[in-house]
Amino acid sequence: MDMKEKIEQLVDYIMKNCLWQFHSRAWDRKDQNAGVLTKATQILCGEAVELETPTDRCFWVDAVCLAEAYKSRYPWLAAMSKEEIKQIMQGLHERMDYLTITGSLNLELTDQHY
Amino acid sequence: MPYHEFECSKCIPERKKHAVIKGPGEDLTSALPQGYLSTIPGSISERGCAYCGAKHVIGTPMKDVIHLSHGPIGCTYDTWQTKRYISDNDNFQIKNTFATDMKEKHIIFGAEKLLKQTIIEAFKAFPAIKRMSIYQTCASALIGDDINAIAAEVMEEMPEVDIFVCNSPGFAGPSQSGGHHKINIAWLNQKVGTVEPKITSPYVINYVGEYNIQGDQHVMMDYFKRMGIQVLSTFTGNGSYDELRGMHRAHLNVLECARSAEYICNELKKRYGIPRLDIDAFGFTTLAEGLRKIGMFFGIEDRAQAIIDEETARWKPELDWYKERLRGKKVCLWPGGSKLWHWANVVHEEFGVDVVSVYTKFGHQGDMEKGISRCQEGALAIDDPNELEGLEAMDMLKPDIIFTGKRPGEVAKKVRVPYLNAHAYHNGPWKGWEGWVRFARDIYNGIYSPIHQLALLDISKDEIPTDKGFETQRMLSDRDLSEDITASTVLHQYSGKYDCLAELSGKTYPRFETDLAHAV
Repeated sequence: MDMKEKIEQLVDYIMKNCLWQFHSRAWDRKDQNAGVLTKATQILCGEAVELETPTDRCFWVDAVCLAEAYKSRYPWLAAMSKEEIKQIMQGLHERMDYLTITGSLNLELTDQHY
Repeated sequence: MPYHEFECSKCIPERKKHAVIKGPGEDLTSALPQGYLSTIPGSISERGCAYCGAKHVIGTPMKDVIHLSHGPIGCTYDTWQTKRYISDNDNFQIKNTFATDMKEKHIIFGAEKLLKQTIIEAFKAFPAIKRMSIYQTCASALIGDDINAIAAEVMEEMPEVDIFVCNSPGFAGPSQSGGHHKINIAWLNQKVGTVEPKITSPYVINYVGEYNIQGDQHVMMDYFKRMGIQVLSTFTGNGSYDELRGMHRAHLNVLECARSAEYICNELKKRYGIPRLDIDAFGFTTLAEGLRKIGMFFGIEDRAQAIIDEETARWKPELDWYKERLRGKKVCLWPGGSKLWHWANVVHEEFGVDVVSVYTKFGHQGDMEKGISRCQEGALAIDDPNELEGLEAMDMLKPDIIFTGKRPGEVAKKVRVPYLNAHAYHNGPWKGWEGWVRFARDIYNGIYSPIHQLALLDISKDEIPTDKGFETQRMLSDRDLSEDITASTVLHQYSGKYDCLAELSGKTYPRFETDLAHAV
């Protein structure tokens, strides 16, 4: 399985099971994708996660659930080095940003108000 | 773009962009229908109006309030028995309906005087109730009655009462969703921050986008109380007016129906810094993850895990009994807004059914993004469908059952497709572990009803078998199952009570002494 196929598996899990990626405005989605996926990467790599603010904690709880699901569903992840995990998670982040923000057909994303 | 054009809508070409079929390899950048647009003239939509969305969906579940429509009495239609958002104060808000009963003469001469008389009369008729919400309608909006001014006048004369004004006339949006938006923002602007709540726990949430359909909120409150969490307010099912004025003091907003209530969560985040956590309370695994996340947020994950373990062990054999009998059944998931994405994946995973179509009456493109992502390949997604499209879709897809509202549901029955009421449920609550089994039971009863099997025969053309006697649900559902399943001593049908809420009302909950010391 190549990198692209692996990323699609990770995307599919998020799309089928998560809600955090679909906040209503483009700026929220950017924050959400960055917040959750950065923390999920840190968890998968065994690095410290910043939990200073309530918003941090909110990202963190979604990231913990995501990292656990990835570990249990995709055994190929365990065979990866930290650098490889970071690389694949970066690819996932870019793909999620494309699907939910830059390539999205949702016309309400750029509305200036909630 | 894989648009789907209905034969019946070829005369309305604009409709083509409102339906897509999710094909192999397609994603949201190639398959997303248009949404939240005004209904195209000629398309007989199933939507409600913006007044309906504000009052009947979000406003009226508030329990300790006189809900007054300033308009013709017909605007109050969706009240008696048509909504099932029960409350623990003897359902005051369902049993009583209030309108100013505007007539033609008021359109000509104005209705502010009538409004003031009605407000005072209503408070006098129900002296125990000191809170009121007034809803503008098309008629009162068009003649320009100043409802806010009248409400202020009454509050000055009757200082013991408090009044909320919701200016969301029927025409103020393409659908009821416009009203959801308006009442969210109006409540936040007018009322949030006007009461300081008493904090009794270090773990304080608002439970938002929950309307207590057949007791869903009671079920969820039971879990929160078992975790030692203080629910400051529920927006709005079984919610109290004054509790909802104190929403600004919560530590976390737990959001369920993002379609109807994400606006207030987003604004509470922006104005008060309260983060928003979206959860799914429908389904075993989804609810478990939701409770775990709330628990982790507060550092009390063990309390969530104890509930998850207990409830899963209690109800999983019953869920699986139904799953074995529902596997592979085709479902059209046709609700109003949020349930298309709450349910699209979890009904497939946990009931074993295949979702062949999703639609939304009033959802936005964001709802379709979630729904299409979660449903299976080949599913037909329709925005703002009309009755003919629904019939054509059922003819094309041959579903075993549809989950929808009572109006399209009755249409489905006429073409011999059973339906479950997705808005108000059949035998709810459907949230919680037990509730999810009750939903499975309702699906099973719908699909395998012997009466429904008789309805499938058309006496004008079908051969009527004379060699078969009466058939039961079990005879129908177990026909092709292996003995391992039919004779299983582990799996069994729903064993809960007819009224599964009764035991919750007098229940006592653990006191977490360490929590009390840290309540802020």
